[in-house]
Amino acid sequence: MLSFIVKRVGQSVLVLLITGLVAFSMFTFVGDPIDNMLGQERTIEDVERLREQLGLDKPFVVQYYRFLEQAVQGNFGVSYRQGRPVAEILLERAPATLELAAVSGIFAILMGIALGVFTAIRRNGFAANLIMSASLIGVSLPTFLIGILLIYLFSVELGWLPSFGRGDTVDLGGWTTGFLTASGLKALILPSITLGLYQMTLIMRLVRSEMLEVLRQDYIRFAKARGLSDRVINFRHALKNTMVPVITVIGLQLGSIIAFAIITETVFQWPGVGLLFINAIQFVDIPVMAAYLMLISVMFVAINLLVDILYAFIDPRLRVAA
Amino acid sequence: MHRLSTALALVLALPATAEEFNFAVTTDPQTMDPHAVNSTPVLGFLNNVYEGLVRRGKDMSIEPSLAVSWEPIGEGEGWRFKLREGVTFQDGAAFNADDVVFSYERASSEQADTSSWFAPVSEVIKVDDYTVDIMTTAPNPIFPDSIANWMMMDSGWAEANGAERPDKEQGNFATLNANGTGPFQVVSRQPDLETVLEPHAGWWGEVEHNLTRVTMTPIQNPATALAALLSGDVDFINPVPIQDVARLEGNPEVRVIQGIEARVIMLGFDQQEGAAESGQGAADMFLDPRAREAVAKAINVPAILQTIMRGNAEVASQMVSPAMRGFSEANAAPYAYDAEAARSLAEEAGLAGQTIAFKCPNDRYLNDEAVCQAVTSMLAQAGMEVSLDAMPVSNYWPELRADNFDMYLLGWSPGTFDAEHPIRFLAATQDDEAKLGSWNFGGYSNARVDELLPMIQSEIDDTARQAMLDETAKILQDEVAYVPLYVQPLVWGARSGVELTQRPDDFFILRWVTVN
Repeated sequence: MLSFIVKRVGQSVLVLLITGLVAFSMFTFVGDPIDNMLGQERTIEDVERLREQLGLDKPFVVQYYRFLEQAVQGNFGVSYRQGRPVAEILLERAPATLELAAVSGIFAILMGIALGVFTAIRRNGFAANLIMSASLIGVSLPTFLIGILLIYLFSVELGWLPSFGRGDTVDLGGWTTGFLTASGLKALILPSITLGLYQMTLIMRLVRSEMLEVLRQDYIRFAKARGLSDRVINFRHALKNTMVPVITVIGLQLGSIIAFAIITETVFQWPGVGLLFINAIQFVDIPVMAAYLMLISVMFVAINLLVDILYAFIDPRLRVAA
Repeated sequence: MHRLSTALALVLALPATAEEFNFAVTTDPQTMDPHAVNSTPVLGFLNNVYEGLVRRGKDMSIEPSLAVSWEPIGEGEGWRFKLREGVTFQDGAAFNADDVVFSYERASSEQADTSSWFAPVSEVIKVDDYTVDIMTTAPNPIFPDSIANWMMMDSGWAEANGAERPDKEQGNFATLNANGTGPFQVVSRQPDLETVLEPHAGWWGEVEHNLTRVTMTPIQNPATALAALLSGDVDFINPVPIQDVARLEGNPEVRVIQGIEARVIMLGFDQQEGAAESGQGAADMFLDPRAREAVAKAINVPAILQTIMRGNAEVASQMVSPAMRGFSEANAAPYAYDAEAARSLAEEAGLAGQTIAFKCPNDRYLNDEAVCQAVTSMLAQAGMEVSLDAMPVSNYWPELRADNFDMYLLGWSPGTFDAEHPIRFLAATQDDEAKLGSWNFGGYSNARVDELLPMIQSEIDDTARQAMLDETAKILQDEVAYVPLYVQPLVWGARSGVELTQRPDDFFILRWVTVN
C-alpha cells in the first residue's frame, strides 16, 4: 500500500512539473509585459533595462527553473502590476473565491438533489417536464450571459440585489468573510446561482437517472408490495442507494467550480482569484499567472490523488494492478 | 402620514447619502506612486491626491497650483517658480522648496517612468524656502506646460518610509500609500478592489465639491459597469460603451457626457528601405509617397465615424486635435476621400497585386478592430488588397517594434498638450541616443523635420514657433507621413444630479464634482 501511494505521489509531482512547463512556455504567446509597465514616453533603453531586470531576456526554460526554485520556497515573486508579493495577493483573494465556490456548491447540491428526486418521482408530471426543459436551457446558455441576465433582472429592473462586488466584509484575522453582513450575503446570491447552475443541472440529471434506475429494482417493488408508504420508499430506501455515484461526482466537481469561477467573477467583478487571473492575463503579469496556474493544477492533482488512494483502500484489486 | 414620513426620510437621507460618491473605472491605477508609472489611469487618479507646481484648468489651460507664479530666467536659461506658502501635506508636514528639489530628483531618476519630462532640465536650485529655479539646457517655452502632471511628494515622508525612489518591480511604501497636498486623501487602498478617498481638511484651495467620501471600484466588464450605473450602485462610469449611448439617452436617471479626447487615431506605414517584412507583401511598398496618399484618399473617415463611432468623433487632419497648443490652422483640411484617385495612385505606386500586411490592436482604442475592418474594406474598394491582423495590445507593441507590418493603427495623446510632442515621438528620425522618434515604428524620416524640431522646442516667440509648427505639419501632410483618421471620443456616464467637468485628457477631477 505504501509503495502504491509513493508511486502515485511521484506521478503527481511529474504531472505538476509538466503542466507548469507547458503553462510557462505559453506565456510567450500572451505578449510582453514591458509596454504595460512603462508609459507612453518610455525609451528603447528603458524597455531593455526593465526586461533585463525582470529576467525576461532569458530563455523560458531558465525563467521556469527560477520560478520553480522560488516556488518551492513558497515565494511566487512580485506581481508586475501591483508591485506586491504574489503569495500575499493570492491569500487576500482566496477567501472570496472559496466562499463563492462553497455557497454555489451547496446550492448546486441541495437544489440538484431536491429537483432530481422530484423529477424522478413525478416522472411524467407537468412540473417535472418543465424543470427538465428549463434545465436544458440553463445548461446551453453561456455562464456569461446568465450572469448578465440575472444582473439586469435583479439589479437594474427590480433593484433587489447589488450588480457587482462582494458587499461589506468582516476581517477574521486574515480571512475576509461576506457571511456576516447583510450586504455580503445579498452580494453572494446572484454570482453563486450563476456559478452553481451548471453543476446543479448535472447533479439533478444524475440523481434523476440513478433514482429511476433504483426505483425499477426488485426490492422497491417488494417494499411497495409490503405496503410501505411512498415517503419511506423514496427517501429511506431509494435515495440512499442513489447517492453513492452522486457523491463521487460531487467530489470531482468541487475543483471545477473553483476553476470555472473565472467567468462568473469577471461578470460580477467578484474580487477572487479568478478575476485576479483575468487581470493578470491582460497585463501579462507572469508571476501571478504562473502562481494561479500552479495553484489550480496542484488542486486538481491533489483531488485526483486522494480519489485514487481512497479507491485503492476500498478496492484492494487496484493496488495489485497498479 | 405615509407621505409625511417619506418626505421626512428624504430630508434626513439627503445630507447623509448625497455626498457619498461611488465611481467605477475600467483600469485600476496600478500604483499610488506619482512617479512610477506614466499612464492615464495613474496620473488621472493621483491628480486628486497629489499636486504639481502648476495644474490644468477645466479648459486645459495652465494655472497656478503649488506655485503661485513663474517667469523665465534671463534669455531662457530656465524658469523661476514662486511657491505657495502655508501648504501642508495630508500628514501635516509643510510644503517648501526642499520638497520640490526632492520631487525633481525622484521623478527624474532612472527608476522613474516620468524622467523624460525632465530631459531638457539641467539643474533645479532652491533659491529660498519658497523660490525654486529650474534651469534648462536650452530655452524651453512650454516647460511649465510639460510639468502639469509632475506631482510633489514630501521628502520627509518618503525618507521615513523608504520610498526615496520609485520601484516598479518590487514596489515600496509609496506603491500602496499616498501623501499629497491635494484636495483628497487616500484612506484605504485595496488594489483592484476598492480605493476610498476623503477630503483633505487642510487643503489650501477653495472647495467646490460637496463630497464627503469617495469610493473608486474597478469594473472591467462594460456590461456590468453599465448595470451598476443603471441600478444606482455607482454614480459615475468611464467609459460608456459607444453602442449603448443612444439607449442611455432615453433614460432620465442617467446622463451621458460626451467630449473629444486629446487622442488622435492614425495609420502608420513601414517606410524603411529593406526593413524586416511580414513576408506577405513585397518589401518597401510604402516607400513611395503615392502609395501612402492612395491609402489616405481611399478612406472615407466620415463614414467610419457615422457607423462605428455613431457620430461621436471628429475627423482629424494632423497628429494633434484642434484643441491642442500649436495645432496648425493653415493645414486644418483633412485628406479628401476620393476612391477613384486612390485607385489610380495605388496603381502608379505599384500597390496593385500586392498584399498589405495591416496590424491592428483589438483592446487598446475605442472600437479599434471595427475601425481596422472598415479601413480594410475601403482599401479593397480602391483596389488594394489588405490582410488584417488584429491582436491584444500586449502582443501588438512587440510586433510593431519588430517591424512586422506594412501598415498599422496608432493612437497618440500628447502628454504636453502641444503639437511638438507627436513630432518628437512619431515624426523625428529614430535616434536612441537623443531619445527621439521612439514610437516612430515606420521609420519615417525627413531632414527638414529633424532640423525644425529643436528649433520648435526652444523658440520663445509664439508666432515664430507656430510658423515652424505649420511648416512641419505641411511637410507631414504633403509626404503623408501618417494618415490621421479621427480624434477619439470620450463618453462618460453619470447619475442625473451629478455635476462634473470632463477634460480632454480623460482625467476625472473630483474637486469639480457636486452631487445634488
